Amino acid sequence: MNNDRSAKQAAVWPVVARMTARALTALFGGYAAAAALASLLARLLPIAPAEASAWGMILSFLVFAGLALWAFHERRLTIVAAAIWGSALIAGAAVVLMGARA
Amino acid sequence: MNVRPTFPAPAPPARALRQSMAWIHAWLGLLAGWILFAMFLTGTASYFRPEITQWMQPELRSASVPAEQAAQAAIAHMQATTPDDQQWFIYLPDDRTAVTRVFARAKPNPEKPPARRPELKLDPATGQSLEARDTRGGEHFYRFHFQLQIPHPWGRWLAGVCAMFMLAAIVSGVITHKRIFVDFFTLRWSKGQRSWLDAHNASAVLALPFHAMITYTGLITLVAMYMPWPVKANFDKPDAFTAAAYGAPAEAKATGTPAPLLPVGPMIEAAGRAWSGDAPRTVVIRNPGDAASTVTLLRATAGRLNARPDSITFSGATGKELSRSPSPGPAIATAGVMLGLHLGHFAGPALRWVYFFLGLTGAAMVGTGLVLWVVKRRKPNAAPFFGLKLVERLNIGAIACLPSGMAAYLLANRLIPADLPGRAELEVKAMFWTWFGLAVVSLLRPARRAWIETLGLATVAFAALPVVNALTTDRGLVASLRTGDWLFAGFDLAMLAIAALCGLAALKASAKPKPPKKAARATAPVKASPAPAPARENVDAL
Repeated sequence: MNNDRSAKQAAVWPVVARMTARALTALFGGYAAAAALASLLARLLPIAPAEASAWGMILSFLVFAGLALWAFHERRLTIVAAAIWGSALIAGAAVVLMGARA
Repeated sequence: MNVRPTFPAPAPPARALRQSMAWIHAWLGLLAGWILFAMFLTGTASYFRPEITQWMQPELRSASVPAEQAAQAAIAHMQATTPDDQQWFIYLPDDRTAVTRVFARAKPNPEKPPARRPELKLDPATGQSLEARDTRGGEHFYRFHFQLQIPHPWGRWLAGVCAMFMLAAIVSGVITHKRIFVDFFTLRWSKGQRSWLDAHNASAVLALPFHAMITYTGLITLVAMYMPWPVKANFDKPDAFTAAAYGAPAEAKATGTPAPLLPVGPMIEAAGRAWSGDAPRTVVIRNPGDAASTVTLLRATAGRLNARPDSITFSGATGKELSRSPSPGPAIATAGVMLGLHLGHFAGPALRWVYFFLGLTGAAMVGTGLVLWVVKRRKPNAAPFFGLKLVERLNIGAIACLPSGMAAYLLANRLIPADLPGRAELEVKAMFWTWFGLAVVSLLRPARRAWIETLGLATVAFAALPVVNALTTDRGLVASLRTGDWLFAGFDLAMLAIAALCGLAALKASAKPKPPKKAARATAPVKASPAPAPARENVDAL
């Protein structure tokens, strides 16, 4: 009986931890990735900088929603975390390295 | 939108996608639902923000005055009272606002920061200062709708997170639906959980384009705060973006050489020629009485989809045009139109009512979704678990108690003495004390009774509004109908309609559930259902 309970708890906690990591990745990672990707788009679009920034801002929420939902669809947490935090880091680093246009 | 996995998923993708989306839809809706309901309801009321403000200051009566006359009268008032200020802001009346509002900013003083001057109300025709009861009017619902009465900037961030949850819930909800067209025409009353699902689907699907639009454009209204990074990627200074997108603001320094301010009438006429006859809504005067004074006119946005106003700046000393806002590029114009679609200032009376009813379907969608969450998890012959009881109580507090709070805000406006100091804050307190107090008191009652009684109280509160209005002002329903005062008559009639709606909800909540049908539903799909198998599956999907 005791064994059973501790086994149950042992099974529950990793699930909670993984779901927490997934939710944090979706919320904060999704925001960071959406911000970085939208910024990269704004920086690279070959149109007037103000226009490019506006397109980036307008589209960012769609990117955020898509990434956040996908984070709960893909079962493998490592792939979710790698894709979301990875794209945030890579796109963010690219934007910082390129610097502002104006 | 494509949210299919880019990696091979272990389960067949179509089926798995619908399941995962149904799961996340329920959680997104639950976590943000209570706040979203309040945002929808107060936001919907805000489509009548100027009208609510007018109703809450019954001492003031609207008078139609040309923009030139109102602007010149306001300037005369400012010249007589605060001639040495750095900036005057004059908000001209239109057909929805009765008064000219003015606000002055003093010159920066190195010794002490300038005291923020209060906003004044002026008679549009004469420029005389008007006295009316102190109230936040429709502005309160409007501000609460995106600031949630939480200190800046946290209220706006919380509202943004909820809007983002809403957006994700809409996308996942659409994916969850496989019979979206059929659901247009499906509403089965008095079938327990099935009816709640139908009501949720009907309110969500019927107005789906509106919900998607209002959620996305809501995020866009505060995009500069929520998502400033694409601007930072291109501009070292945010002001440079503002100047590139909307034109550089007039900020010439005062020369110290006095020069009289020219009349604004010719400037308003010149602006009207550039704006196909439109009048300005806002006049901003910088360094009045100085040789370097400027007059900036902002175009009225009523009747225009883009809510970003065009502007023209004139020299106040010579009357020459100095600059005007650039014509916006496609992206800036898109953002302006999105802002306009959210605010709905472009809408005439008929379209404004459409906005209002669509907003109510939004509140209904969120509310029925929250109720559905409870109804779906309730087992007929088992004690409800803690989470279920918690959600049900929060549902009562958020859905059934808020209307009473809003009614209390309006009732307080009539019942608190007009000259009591600090009365504007008392009105706001009346709303929150009623709302949250009622939610706490309702804990003392069984859940079903709590629904009925709180909704019943809302019915009484809204029905009382026209009565209290008639007793405390000379602009009651009979009088306003007789004099053709459609704003006041419409307001009172709308309150009666809302009371009827609350009463209907209370009646529905008090209707006895039908046990035989419930038992039948627990064992087998309802036979009358047009497509039993998918319907059953659909219930399970949520």
